[in-house]
Amino acid sequence: MMADPSRISDVVLERALRDLGPNYSYPPTPNLSTAVRRRIVAQPVAPVRRLALWRDPRRLALVAAVLLVLATAAALVNPTTRDAIAHFFHVRGVIVNRVASPLPSLSPVTPLDLGRRASMDEAQSAVSFKIGVPPALGVPDAVYVASGIPGGEVALAYLPRPGIPLVKQTGLGVLITEFRGDLIPGFITKEVGPGTTVEQTSVNGDPGWWIAGEPHTIIIQVGAGNDQMETLRLAANTLVWEHGTVTYRIESALSKTDAFRIAGGLP
Amino acid sequence: MEGRPLDDIALVERARNGDVNAYEALVQQYQELAFRVAYQVTGDAADAEDAAQEGFVNAYYALGRFRSGAPFRPWLLRIVTNEARNRRLAAHRRTALAERALRAQASGEAAPSPEAAAEADEFRSTLVATLGRLSDDDRLVLAYRLFFDLSEAEMAEALNCPKGTVKSRLSRALGRLRAALPADIRMPSPTGENDG
Repeated sequence: MMADPSRISDVVLERALRDLGPNYSYPPTPNLSTAVRRRIVAQPVAPVRRLALWRDPRRLALVAAVLLVLATAAALVNPTTRDAIAHFFHVRGVIVNRVASPLPSLSPVTPLDLGRRASMDEAQSAVSFKIGVPPALGVPDAVYVASGIPGGEVALAYLPRPGIPLVKQTGLGVLITEFRGDLIPGFITKEVGPGTTVEQTSVNGDPGWWIAGEPHTIIIQVGAGNDQMETLRLAANTLVWEHGTVTYRIESALSKTDAFRIAGGLP
Repeated sequence: MEGRPLDDIALVERARNGDVNAYEALVQQYQELAFRVAYQVTGDAADAEDAAQEGFVNAYYALGRFRSGAPFRPWLLRIVTNEARNRRLAAHRRTALAERALRAQASGEAAPSPEAAAEADEFRSTLVATLGRLSDDDRLVLAYRLFFDLSEAEMAEALNCPKGTVKSRLSRALGRLRAALPADIRMPSPTGENDG
C-alpha cells in the first residue's frame, strides 16, 4: 500500500529498521585476525609497565602533580630556577614521551584528518586566535580548520616545491598547525623512539622543541579525558613552540635551519 | 556478535601485557561487527576491511591508554569508525553509497519472490538507499541501536557523546530518515491483517 512517509510513526519506522537489520546484505566478513596478528607481532608494543606511567592520563597527572610540587619547592628556594623549569616542562598542548622500544608500524601515509577545507577568512573566523602565516612560505596551498576543538585549530598545507621536499608521512611539503595550547593541555602526544632526537630550543624567544631523525608517532587527542584517539600517525621533523596562548607546529623534511627560517616569520 | 564484557576485560588485560593470542581472540570476537560498522560508514567492502584492520591495530597500540575495566566493544568501534571516516574520501563517494548499497542488496537476493516478498524487498531496498543518503552520524546512530543492538551507554562511548543525548540523537536521526523517504514509498502489507 502507498503511504505518506510523514505519517509513518517512529515505532513503525524503528520496527522496519529492526526487521531490516538481519536482512541487510553485507559483503562477507574478511578474516582480519591473521593480518592483525602479523602486524602486531612484527612490531611488539613496549613493555606495559614502562609505558603505563606515561600513557595513563591519571598517572601522568599524578606524576605531573609531584613534579609541580617539587618544582614549586625548588622555585621557592631559588626563584631563578622557575623559568628554567617552566621552559623544560612547557610547550602547552604538547607532551613528548621517550619510548624505549620500536614504534608501532603505521602505514606511511595515514589520512591527516585536518578538519574541513576553508578559505583563510573562514578559518580566521572559526578560531579564537590570530592565524599566523609565515612570510617565508606565503599563501598556503590549502587551509583546513577544525572547530570542534576548544579555541579551534587551523592547518596550513604547502605542497612540495623546489627547496621544499615531499614528506612521505603527510604527502605535503610543509604542514603548519596552530591551536590554543592553553585550552587543551594533552592535545598532542608525541612518542619518540631511539632513532629520533628531541632538542629543547628557543623559537623567537619562546620555549620549544625540535624533534628530528626517524619519524615519530603523533597522537592527537580530542575530548576531555576519554581516551579518544582522533589521529595516530607518523610525523616527520617537527618544530613546535608556544607563543602566548597559541602553540605552533611546523612539520616538514627540512633541516633545523630551514624550519627556523619559516618559524622566524611567525609570532 | 554480542560481547561478553567479563571475558573482554580479562582478554584486554592479557593483551596489554603482551599476550598476542588474547588480542587475536578479541579480533575474532569483534571482526564481523567492526567490519559491518565500518561498511555502514564507507559503503565499500575494501575500505571497510582496511578501516577495521587499521582500527584493530591502532587499538592494540592504544591499549596502554585504555581505561582498565572499561567496555572494549564501544571503544573499538569509535576507533574503527574514525578510520572508516578517514577512508571515505570525497563527497561523490557518499552519493554513490546509496546506489552501491542498493546493488549489493539486489545481488544478495537473487531468488524470485512472490508478490508479498517482492513488496517487502522493495521496501527494504528503499530503506537501505535512504539510509545511504543520511549523514554518517545519523546512519551510525540508527545502525548501532537498531541493527547492532548497542546499549545507550555503549552508543554514547562509541559516538563520543554524553549519554543523555543518545535518545534525542536517535529521535532526530529517525526524523531525518522519515523526511528523506520518497513520497511514493510502498509500505509492505502487514502480514495476517490484510486478508479481509
